[in-house]
Amino acid sequence: MDRFKRSVARRVFAFELNEATHRIESEEKLVQLLLPTGVPCSRVFIVGVLLDREETRPDSDFWKIRVSDPTGVFRGFIGKFQPDALESLLKIDPPEIVAIVSKVRLFEGNRTVVTLRPEFIVPVERDVMNYWIVETAEHTLSRIENMKKGGKELVEEAWRIYNPDLSKYEERVKEALEAVISSPKVEEEEVEEEKEEVEEVEVEEFEEVPEFSDEFEFEEEELDLSDILG
Amino acid sequence: MDRIQKIAEEIVEKFKKSGYEINRKDVYKRLKLLIEEFKVPESEAIRTVENYLIKELDISRDKLVSDSPLVKVEDIKTPGQWVSLKAKVVQLWDSSSPNVSQVGLIGDETGIIKFVIWAKANKPEVEEGKSYLFANVVTDSFGGRMQVNVNRNSRIEEIDEDIQLPPREVEAVGALVAIQQNSGLIRRCKKCNRVLTKGICPVHGKTEAYDDLRVKGVIDDGESYYEVILNQDNIKYLTGIGLEEAIEMAKKHYDREVVLSELKNRLLGRYFRFTGRKGERYFIVNEIDFLRYDGKEKAEELLSKLSG
Ligand SMILES: [Zn+2]
Repeated sequence: MDRFKRSVARRVFAFELNEATHRIESEEKLVQLLLPTGVPCSRVFIVGVLLDREETRPDSDFWKIRVSDPTGVFRGFIGKFQPDALESLLKIDPPEIVAIVSKVRLFEGNRTVVTLRPEFIVPVERDVMNYWIVETAEHTLSRIENMKKGGKELVEEAWRIYNPDLSKYEERVKEALEAVISSPKVEEEEVEEEKEEVEEVEVEEFEEVPEFSDEFEFEEEELDLSDILG
Repeated sequence: MDRIQKIAEEIVEKFKKSGYEINRKDVYKRLKLLIEEFKVPESEAIRTVENYLIKELDISRDKLVSDSPLVKVEDIKTPGQWVSLKAKVVQLWDSSSPNVSQVGLIGDETGIIKFVIWAKANKPEVEEGKSYLFANVVTDSFGGRMQVNVNRNSRIEEIDEDIQLPPREVEAVGALVAIQQNSGLIRRCKKCNRVLTKGICPVHGKTEAYDDLRVKGVIDDGESYYEVILNQDNIKYLTGIGLEEAIEMAKKHYDREVVLSELKNRLLGRYFRFTGRKGERYFIVNEIDFLRYDGKEKAEELLSKLSG
């Protein structure tokens, strides 16, 4: 029966996902990220704003994407190994609200970076984004509670590795929830407003990860081969 | 001892175990008449004689204890056991094998299990939604899942009880995180309703087919996931695209895949609330709708909890 098992899509804010630097191996030899709040994560469901898409090299059909939520920016790559996602990506004109289901990858270069490898990316309505933020807030708070309780193996491991400042996490959750409350009513929503919001987020994110895409391509080949063989 | 003597002996034993002495000769005579003279199938003859005795002794069939132990579906874990169970027929499947009389799912309040009635068992057919005593059936495992087989020595008896099925009518909320293969505008085999892949039925090969619309997908709530099947009605309710509309779309674009991409665009990544009943692997969705609530209100609520 286990052959039908698939990994759940975690609800995690960009702020937390980007702090994750540690891999764990599960019983099924599946490599997963350990989130700073003490749960394993190999797949995520995200609803955020696609800020931009940029081909890593001309005609490479390998695109770098950035997607923001109220707490930060997710970075990801879409290439020919994700034909569905690639096809949809090329039809999207950023900035636009999108839903993404994605595998997560850890890239260990000069610094450790979590990246997304989307299975699909699809434009969605604003209320979907609000639901996602509220849901992700709830999930994050419940993970924080478990961290405070302690005891569980992965929770202890997360304490050991990340020693997270939980009040900082709670602060980010609050900000995300406030973003929902102050978001325009769905009916009144205008493209203009969306644009403004996007620009703000863009500023706070760093731009350059040098030699990143080059090194990355090598990794992409490796990873996807193992995906296919596995 | 001839065959009929042996059966007579078994019946006598069975009644004896339950505390009733019966006349062996009488039983033998009746069996012989039914089986040899009237060519009644053995199992029916046994049943007829037993019923006669039960009436004669004015006892209920439940008093006869020689059946295999009565178990619940959840107790069935090892293959090769003789058991009896009271269960309701949940679903009958189309059987393609001539060796199989009926196949499908039966269940009680503890679970649902596949059953097979072998053609050789020579049993009257069961009906969906009716409850039966499946006496003396054999447990088996097939493809890693348990099932029960009804053979010649088994007995199927309709019962008055309305056996309850497990509370598997779940209600859940989650995001649609995948739409799987064989979704959209599909074709099914006219003989067995199976979905064709590249125009081929896995059982009947090249065959006459009809159109259907469905979505096989995964709804995920971040903690667990449900594999769901949406039927034509569900899809039409959510998207306005019914079977007719889907066929129109496919015609217009000379491509059946447009239907699937349209459904993906409209459904993937959205939140749903649905009710459904779990089959072996999939939740058969009963009702489904887009999740609608006031996100702001919920956000306020969480915030006040956080500050408080
Ligand atoms: Zn067929």
